[in-house]
Amino acid sequence: MTKKWKVSSRVFVSLLAIALVVGMAFMAVAEDSVTTIKLGAINPLADITGAQMSKAMQLAVDEINAAGGVLGRPLELIVIDSEFDPAKGAAAIEKLATVDNVDVFIGGMASGVHMGEIPILKKYEKVTVWAGSAMHLCEEALEGCDWYFHLHPWDYQQGASYVQGWADIVNKFPEVQINNAFWAYEEGAFGSGSFAGSVALHTNWNNSGESFKSAALGGGDYSAVLQHAKAANPDIFVWIGYAADALPIMEQSTEIGFNPPLFVGSPPGWPADFGQSPLAENVVAYGMWAPSIKNISEVSNHFWNAYIEKFDEEPATYFCPLGYTNVYVVAEAIARAGSLEKEALILALEETAYDSPLGEILTFTPSNVIKHQGFQGQKILQWQNGEQQVIWPFDYATAGIVYPFTGN
Amino acid sequence: MVLLKKLYQKKYLMPLLAAAVIIALVAWKPYVLVQGLQRGGLYALIALPMALILGIVGIINLAHGEFMMLGAYFVYWFCIHTGIDPLVAMTIAFVAFFLIGAIVYLVTIKHVLKAPELNQLLLTFGIAMVLTEFANLLWTSQARKLHLSYVYSSAKVGSLTFGTFGFIYPVAAIVVLVGLLVFLKYTRTGQAALAVGQNPRGAKLVGIDVNRTYLLIFSLSIAIVAAIGALFLTRHSIFPAVGSPYTMKSFCLIAMAGIGNLTGVLWVGFGLGIAEALVLSFQGYGGWADVVFFAVLVAVIMVKSYRRKIA
Repeated sequence: MTKKWKVSSRVFVSLLAIALVVGMAFMAVAEDSVTTIKLGAINPLADITGAQMSKAMQLAVDEINAAGGVLGRPLELIVIDSEFDPAKGAAAIEKLATVDNVDVFIGGMASGVHMGEIPILKKYEKVTVWAGSAMHLCEEALEGCDWYFHLHPWDYQQGASYVQGWADIVNKFPEVQINNAFWAYEEGAFGSGSFAGSVALHTNWNNSGESFKSAALGGGDYSAVLQHAKAANPDIFVWIGYAADALPIMEQSTEIGFNPPLFVGSPPGWPADFGQSPLAENVVAYGMWAPSIKNISEVSNHFWNAYIEKFDEEPATYFCPLGYTNVYVVAEAIARAGSLEKEALILALEETAYDSPLGEILTFTPSNVIKHQGFQGQKILQWQNGEQQVIWPFDYATAGIVYPFTGN
Repeated sequence: MVLLKKLYQKKYLMPLLAAAVIIALVAWKPYVLVQGLQRGGLYALIALPMALILGIVGIINLAHGEFMMLGAYFVYWFCIHTGIDPLVAMTIAFVAFFLIGAIVYLVTIKHVLKAPELNQLLLTFGIAMVLTEFANLLWTSQARKLHLSYVYSSAKVGSLTFGTFGFIYPVAAIVVLVGLLVFLKYTRTGQAALAVGQNPRGAKLVGIDVNRTYLLIFSLSIAIVAAIGALFLTRHSIFPAVGSPYTMKSFCLIAMAGIGNLTGVLWVGFGLGIAEALVLSFQGYGGWADVVFFAVLVAVIMVKSYRRKIA
């Protein structure tokens, strides 16, 4: 009898302990879901773009929480690594929607990955404020999705902004003459797609071009394409490739004495130490942001200093201020809406006018297909004394153009 | 026809053909010869240590390019923090990676020497993955490049302006090849390594420590490829995935040259480099360079197989 009682009491105590633990866990989850507003992001964490974007998002979340949160509740950022894999990106959306039960989807980059994520986003139809992905095919796949807001300009918008930018520069600086253009583009989808799109837009130029194998894909010898470019004697030379190509292209151009009047690079991000090379001087770049914007924008200056203070590194890619912008836009919209109710939040997002660290005030307007497009174009930048300066749009310019490019 | 046969039998045919190609290129497109030699020299240089491991230890090291990448990062880090030139830092990389190679051999490779080849491949592939992710964690995927003013030095011959520093690759390939041949033929340790490569059981019977020889050759190869990483760094950006394409190219060169044929690796490297540069010299046909590379590989293997059948 005593033995039986002992066994029963052990079972009872064990059951009680389990019930307590499970109960506390449920309470914790329930309490968590009541108090925090969850933002779910899917970024490629092994890449500097995704890593810095995630850090900038966390910086924004911490700042907002330190200021009392939104609607009296703290923000919670949940980041999942997409690993640049569409299947993993899709699975991440599924997990964020069902397991984490996030309130808003944010972040994201790489169009290929996004194509895999879009069907799952459409399945849940949660409010989404997407930071990256430029390919117009993504936009076409999102037709009619009023819950979808997009920050990064689409590829055709980027191309149109460069056309406008060069037209403005030629008008303002008569010494800049552009008739012949040579495009050296990496042979993958990114380079060849950008080349085709650019040539279609720059109809007032005599365009010629050739592909090369990017260092990122096992190449790194550009001497053949540079010899052909030199023979074409262009007024503007544009290379479209990756960060790994940047300095070697400059070195190999110098080797063969190729110094076109305008030397333009269009990688998604520049190498960490590119500006330290004398070969970088006066190279023109395309991008959404340059560190020098901090000199003309208070928000950008605050972002720059806060990021360096928190992470002890400099923002090296425009995805960094873009991620910061992403969180603030959502947080301000939730505050305006006064709730997380979907329709109210969409209306509040439509009223966005956020002074972003990218140097522009962000608003949402319709683009070719979707209803809520944020930034409309890229900027034309130039490396001057080791720093990227904005030379166009003139409204955000931090310096004038240095012309012609003289090489080293 | 008879003359061709005689030349072939006396092994004059290939050198004569090579000379004819060089003369034709100098007259037609001289920069193809410059680019081809520089490009081919780099291929051969990277392939030589892999050929050494494959010829003696008998392992296809799929982490070969990753060791070069790590060597390059090691030298980059060293140069940034000490300010010394990568051409000097490569000696430190050589010593450091000799030790790292020894550790990798003792911890991993040693245990699969008698395992099926698939297991060996999987192991070295796994090591490659670990090394890439390790670099990703430590240095992120951002491309890094040292600025060295001497790497874009150039010369002008007639109307042709070309880079001169790129010739460091063929020169280094010749130095590494000669060094390895001298080591293998004229030192006792090298001769022992050759014996082990040809017949490990026989070598063991005559008192050669086979395991120690494998350890030495593997460590030496890793040390050489890491030092080559320093040379690679001078002209190329580095990032965690930079090494893997060179593993495949190195393996192709060895397959064409024949296992154990170090001199052949050099000639095949030059041949492929010039073939690629020739294809690239036609504007708009650059994408065919890889096709030519692998077409030549298939052709060489088929010709070799045909010859063996006839013999």
